Amino acid sequence: MAMEARSLDKPPQLGAFALNPEWRTRLADRAPFFVACLMLILLVAVYGTLRDGVFTLDELNVDTAAAMTLLLAATGQTIVLLRGGIDLSIGGMISLGTVLAATQFGETLVSAAAWTVFILAIGLGVGAVNGFLISVLRLQPFLVTLATWSILSGAALLILPIDGGSLPSGWMRFGNATFLGLSTSVWILFLLFLFWSWFRHTRLGLTIRATGSNERSAYLSGVSLTSVNVMSYGLSGLFAALAALYLTTQTGAGSPTIGKDYILPSVAAAVIGGISLFGGRGGLSGTIIGALILTIIGNLVFVLSVSSYWQPIVSGLILLTAVLASSLAERSARRSVG
Amino acid sequence: MAALPRHRAILLAYLGMIVLLLLTSLVSPGFLSLSHLRTLSVLAAFIGIVALGQTFVIIGGGIDLSVPWVLNCAAILMTLMAKGQNGPLYYAIPLILVAGAFIGALNGAGIALFGVPAIIMTLAVNVILQGAILVYTGGTPQATAPGLIQYLAVGRIGPIPVIAIVWGVLALAASFLLSKTVFGRQLYAVGTSPTVAEFSGVPVVRTTLLAYTLSGFTAALAGMLLTGYTAQAYLGMGDPYLFTSIAAVAIGGASILGGSGHYVGTIAGAFVLTILAGLLPALDLSNGALLIVYGAVILTTVSLASEAFSDLAATIHAMLRPNSIRSEPS
Repeated sequence: MAMEARSLDKPPQLGAFALNPEWRTRLADRAPFFVACLMLILLVAVYGTLRDGVFTLDELNVDTAAAMTLLLAATGQTIVLLRGGIDLSIGGMISLGTVLAATQFGETLVSAAAWTVFILAIGLGVGAVNGFLISVLRLQPFLVTLATWSILSGAALLILPIDGGSLPSGWMRFGNATFLGLSTSVWILFLLFLFWSWFRHTRLGLTIRATGSNERSAYLSGVSLTSVNVMSYGLSGLFAALAALYLTTQTGAGSPTIGKDYILPSVAAAVIGGISLFGGRGGLSGTIIGALILTIIGNLVFVLSVSSYWQPIVSGLILLTAVLASSLAERSARRSVG
Repeated sequence: MAALPRHRAILLAYLGMIVLLLLTSLVSPGFLSLSHLRTLSVLAAFIGIVALGQTFVIIGGGIDLSVPWVLNCAAILMTLMAKGQNGPLYYAIPLILVAGAFIGALNGAGIALFGVPAIIMTLAVNVILQGAILVYTGGTPQATAPGLIQYLAVGRIGPIPVIAIVWGVLALAASFLLSKTVFGRQLYAVGTSPTVAEFSGVPVVRTTLLAYTLSGFTAALAGMLLTGYTAQAYLGMGDPYLFTSIAAVAIGGASILGGSGHYVGTIAGAFVLTILAGLLPALDLSNGALLIVYGAVILTTVSLASEAFSDLAATIHAMLRPNSIRSEPS
């Protein structure tokens, strides 16, 4: 405590980096993101030495395809986390989306297109309801989205009690197509980058971030908390619906219980990528890195051919190491800022 | 001023519990019979004991997602160590309780000392424990609960189940810790704002560490007792307790963001969840419809409690300080 008081009185010392304080603060803010990047490079390097053909286009296509459902779900989660909330209902929405797609699409293009739009609309609508309940009834995001998760999972189970259903073959071909050597998933990744570089500068993007970092001052500056909540949870629901649709192109079936596997990993991907659970800090590039880290961890565990019993231990330990490294890096970066 | 809405939230939780109980007795007669109430209190006790530690963690501004597999590991280790005999329990029970507390302390250390987000830390520990017990048992634990454990879980002293007495004692201890001790007050301070608490001289690291240690302890205890109820330990027996333990705390009026709530409310939350779980099969619904009703009831319960109390708080706030800005919704 005494040390901190002294360092405040002194002018900022020039450390090893001759950067001005503002830049050093920015560096400290981004420390978890940089650690996540390093982590990903390290994991890919290890993965590459253990297996042949890692540094090929095919591997890139396969890995992004494996990561894409999580990535889409985590994109929505990122928006909500930036707002300072959390969305558990994406689990239910993903289940419901796959189930609807697998039972209703039919073989005609028109019905598939209509149902795609309808599923996206449900995602948007359910998310908007989440946001509305959270702001109007002043409820905790955790509880509201827990309840809607339960309701959506229930609806999914009513429509399709067990895994099954089928999707049009054209739908699956679209999901696994390649264009210019890159798979659909890589193109979606590009689109996500484009979306984010546009979205973060929009009025809504800035408002969500501002509200997440300080709700009170955002409110006092004239931000409507209700509309921010409706929009951010609505987007989260929309992305969950997109994740569901993408998932069906990979699995070719609906599952009323599959969504729960994406709830906590979507939060984990964002947090590994440097998004603060307290809102306002981080960006989609961090989440993408985080989702890729989680996917590569899964691959590594597979390549190491450890017994399936060991898989959770190994992935848990790697996850913990990654997060520990990033929080330690952030701390030391902040300390050097003073 | 803070005490009034808090007590109101707890009162509403109890009100919800009574209304649900009466509703259920309309749907299925015999629900209010002594034997059924006894079963109810036994089932609520398991949730209540797990949720005890969770209450402390949540009041301190954290969350413990490692509860399911701490519980499950404790149950499996106990049956393996005891091999159905009472004899080994005299060292097995204390050993497992200490191990549970140690896992909790590990969670707390990662969170308080190294700044790992609570969700990630406890999630990772949960996954690691799950893997560890799978590796250790080879996937098929085969052991039954010893007699003493079964007595603790399903036995009775007079008309009262033994576990209800155990739970009652724990509840008294928890309420005392929260309301009457320095640790309790420090926990509320840490949950409200760790920064302010730190600058006011509250030992934030120690307080956080203790809360998670307690949660590991109660999860391990509940795991061993639950084995007595199911007569056998099996993989996955802890999974339902992840969300029931959190939901019990939340229905009991605590904010998931920390700094408010009380174990007295959690007790009502545990009963609400148990009554619900009993009501739904009585309605003869499919699994899907069950989940829908479950979600709807959680939503209704929390919105009734939450809106009423925050409106009241806002009104009082406005009355006390007419010039201040009305507290904004979140």
